[in-house]
Amino acid sequence: MDSLLVILALYAVIGVAVLAFTVFSKTHQTMNALAVGLPVSYLVVSLYALTDAALPSYGLGGGYFLVDHLSLYEILITAVLFLLAALYACQYIEGSIEIHEMDRNNLKIFYVALNGLLMALAYAFLADNLALFWILAELSTAFSAVLVVLLNAPKNIGAALKYVFITSTCMLFAFIGLILIFTLTEDLLGAGTLNWSTLMSIASTLSPAIMFAAFIFTFVGFAAKSGIVPFHAWLPSAHSKAPAPISAILSGSITSVGIYGIIRIYAIVTQTAEVAKVSWFLIGFGVFSMVVAALTMLSQVNLKKLIGYSTVENMGFLLVGLGLVGLSTSVALFWMLFYVMAHAFVKSSLFFSAGIIHHQYESVRMERIKNVFKLQPFAAWSLIVGGVAIIGMPLSAIFIPKVMILLQAAAVTPALLIGLLTVFLFVSAAFGIFLVKMLTHKDQDAPAVGELKPFHAGWGMKIPIVILLAAVFALGVFFPQQLTDLLNTIVTELGF
Amino acid sequence: MIVAPMQSFAEILIVLILATAAIIIMKRDMGSLIKTYAAQSFLVAVLALLFFVETGGLSLLALAIIFLVSKVLIIPRFMGRVQKKLNIKRDVQFHFLSPITALIASVFIILFVYLSFAPLIAELNRFNSSLFFLGATVGISTVFMGMIVIFTRKQTLTNIVGYLTMENGVVLFSLFLTELPLLIEFLIIIDLIMLTLIATILAFGIDSTIEEFHARLNPFTSLNKETERKDEEED
Repeated sequence: MDSLLVILALYAVIGVAVLAFTVFSKTHQTMNALAVGLPVSYLVVSLYALTDAALPSYGLGGGYFLVDHLSLYEILITAVLFLLAALYACQYIEGSIEIHEMDRNNLKIFYVALNGLLMALAYAFLADNLALFWILAELSTAFSAVLVVLLNAPKNIGAALKYVFITSTCMLFAFIGLILIFTLTEDLLGAGTLNWSTLMSIASTLSPAIMFAAFIFTFVGFAAKSGIVPFHAWLPSAHSKAPAPISAILSGSITSVGIYGIIRIYAIVTQTAEVAKVSWFLIGFGVFSMVVAALTMLSQVNLKKLIGYSTVENMGFLLVGLGLVGLSTSVALFWMLFYVMAHAFVKSSLFFSAGIIHHQYESVRMERIKNVFKLQPFAAWSLIVGGVAIIGMPLSAIFIPKVMILLQAAAVTPALLIGLLTVFLFVSAAFGIFLVKMLTHKDQDAPAVGELKPFHAGWGMKIPIVILLAAVFALGVFFPQQLTDLLNTIVTELGF
Repeated sequence: MIVAPMQSFAEILIVLILATAAIIIMKRDMGSLIKTYAAQSFLVAVLALLFFVETGGLSLLALAIIFLVSKVLIIPRFMGRVQKKLNIKRDVQFHFLSPITALIASVFIILFVYLSFAPLIAELNRFNSSLFFLGATVGISTVFMGMIVIFTRKQTLTNIVGYLTMENGVVLFSLFLTELPLLIEFLIIIDLIMLTLIATILAFGIDSTIEEFHARLNPFTSLNKETERKDEEED
């Protein structure tokens, strides 16, 4: 218990120290090194916390925080993404400054916002009080909007505004849901509470009708954060306009916060009599998101938008997986949690590759991308491998969880299985068509090849992609026992 | 819980708040939009004060003071200055709904909220009093009306007013339902003020002077399909 309190404080102390050093540092290298250091220290602290016997520990810091396996798992994924994104960002941002996409004066704001975002996310995952979680999730919106808007383009301001307005508007609805839960517990216990651990212990006595209403309100807010249709409008534009490392973080971590919030609320609601209704509600929104995303993907001509819509589709699938938990067994939750990680890794590698393409052609639109194999063979191959991984081909880490969740779907109703398979067919077709068109796009007679100076993507940009893809395929064939234990513990802790 | 003359006073305030929300949906003049918002925040603050007099809860007093300082004085003045600098007098562009249809839509929303809350009456103790039920319904309806403003107007500044209206609705709703712990109240207000600032900074363009900003403003004054289409074509 005490050591966990120390860990909780460590996240803050290290974070604030890094922020302070960033403010006073002068060169890009120092700022970047600090941005690499912060996730490394979070990784170390979280891994150490995992070994602590006192886990899970609730009610730290006056009941506002909780450290359990799920929060540590999410922090670990987030820290890995931030680490690789920071490594990648060093050269990427220099490139952005070179093509006048970004001002050197904004470097400091960029790194302060990046480190602030990691802190906000880490504490959001550690929040026990749902209102505190809400505030930290809003903070993460604010930081990431700053990161989107830093490029010198009016379109970025538009994308960031859309992002802030849609997510904040929906998050207000989530707050209404929280007020309902608070009132309900006030009636029941005498003093209202929003502590997740308390709510879990009294969940079965809560009024199902009010909890269902509260669930719908909170769902609207958290679904907007994770880009679920019809609250997804911000996602493709923000993802495609943001700098590549930020797109990767948006796709892997910000959307995870939304899903994480939904998991927590869902864990409470499944203990009431409304479990079937809520589960079908989730599956409905999940399938709807997948269908809309798949159909939009087919007509995409913008590489980063295609990857962004793929995120919408994957978030939809995560909702389906979560919904299946209430209808069949907790097996779906195990694989859904694994899928969160696999998706985050594959998606980041795709955005990193798209970043190389972006700096080569100063655009990610299909008609501008020519002779990729000649100019950027590494990016071409990493896009192919990443594309193969994201559509869930065997050997990729996406494959096994996908099959396992599909099996659960088939057990509930075969119609769902067939529907999901059809959507996957469309998604794979969209990726296939786009990649084939883009990679075979050549300009035979124009001297374009000579004119375009090849952008030199250094090891700083390539290594993160290699690490991510290697991890994805390693996890596809080899499943470490520690990971199985961790995921099993999370499932038990969530009470399924 | 609340004595009769107080109750009718509270009811009048609730109806006035609903009326201000309707005015915000209808108004095209930027200056009066901001003034209406200030008036609405003032009404919510008075309501919080009224509850403080009745129950003596200190967090209600704190809420009223925060509202008076930030939402009646600072935010409207700040937005007024932004509006003068940008020289936007009127917001006459709408999408999806014209103001009249938006108003009709919000009438249906109020009905819908009322009907969907009706079955929940038995579940919550507080709802048994008609005043609390009315307040909660109007609170949620105000949230939806603010949302309509966000989706039907094209000016970023009007969108911010819409967002702030939604926020007032949430606070109104929580006033009638429960007393949130003080700490959370403070954090919410801080968070919301920060978001307003961010939205305004974004609307200004990050560090540009006003002239530069106008060049930037033009492409995104209308965050609508047109820009989206242009986006697809040019880029």
